[in-house]
Amino acid sequence: MEEPLDLIRLSIDERVYVKCRGSRELRGKLHAYDQHLNMILGEVEETVTTTEIDEETDEEIVKKQTRKVGMLFVRGDIIVLVSPPLRTT
Amino acid sequence: MSEPTNTGTPQVPETAAPEDTKRTPSDFLKSVLGRPAVVKLNSGIEYRGVLACLDGYLNIAMEQTQEFGLDGQLKATYGDCFIRGNNVLHISSQAKRKTGL
Amino acid sequence: MATRILPLELIDKAIGSQIWILMRGSKEVVGTLRGFDDYVNLVLDDAIEYTPDPNDRTNIITKKLDAEILLNGNQIAILVPGSGGPDSLAQQQQQQQQQQS
Repeated sequence: MEEPLDLIRLSIDERVYVKCRGSRELRGKLHAYDQHLNMILGEVEETVTTTEIDEETDEEIVKKQTRKVGMLFVRGDIIVLVSPPLRTT
Repeated sequence: MSEPTNTGTPQVPETAAPEDTKRTPSDFLKSVLGRPAVVKLNSGIEYRGVLACLDGYLNIAMEQTQEFGLDGQLKATYGDCFIRGNNVLHISSQAKRKTGL
Repeated sequence: MATRILPLELIDKAIGSQIWILMRGSKEVVGTLRGFDDYVNLVLDDAIEYTPDPNDRTNIITKKLDAEILLNGNQIAILVPGSGGPDSLAQQQQQQQQQQS
């Protein structure tokens, strides 16, 4: 591996985990990417995590919303981290 | 500087440190490559792992990565991961093991 | 023509001494400058990070980084060469006030 983007190149046609800004996570098959890390992902599961504070008990409530999208484009500049998901826990 | 050397080019100031004690970012990155490092993002999230490789944007490929949240708790682990350079606040060589804050 | 000094020459003079860095947003960093490059990425030793507590802006969280770091130039707003940062500034002001009274 010469440069970090090689890691992405080696993940093409594989399912990847993508951590985005704003507590957004994507899992999907990496179809294409470019030098900005713009991506096309297929069979995507999007997870958005929100935390609310319960007014009465003052406790944090963590909510995870997921939805499925067949194919999507991700703009590279919202991406924080990319990892091949098979090796994640 | 009293000498009227009007050459149009600015004079190079005497440096506070001799050349060999300087460590440029590129020197630093060479020394940390392949070693354990801590990468802190602007959001406050920290990644600890082995720095596999880097590029000029500070994009990072990391191995055996552990993700720590703002509270310092372990949040996730990744075998390999790519961190996009624009999020990187700083990279630290893991010379000494940190204890708490 | 007066001798001009380029901005980065001033930073070059600060190599080996303390430097105070104000980041975009409200984070601040103080450390010993070891080197830098054209993007103003900085190599720092004995760096201390000052981050306002998101829940209580008056409380500043300080964090000592006990390894050499590379600070991404991307987020840097202002550099104050030769300054020990907010703590030493507060000390100076206290001393001045004591002298006046």
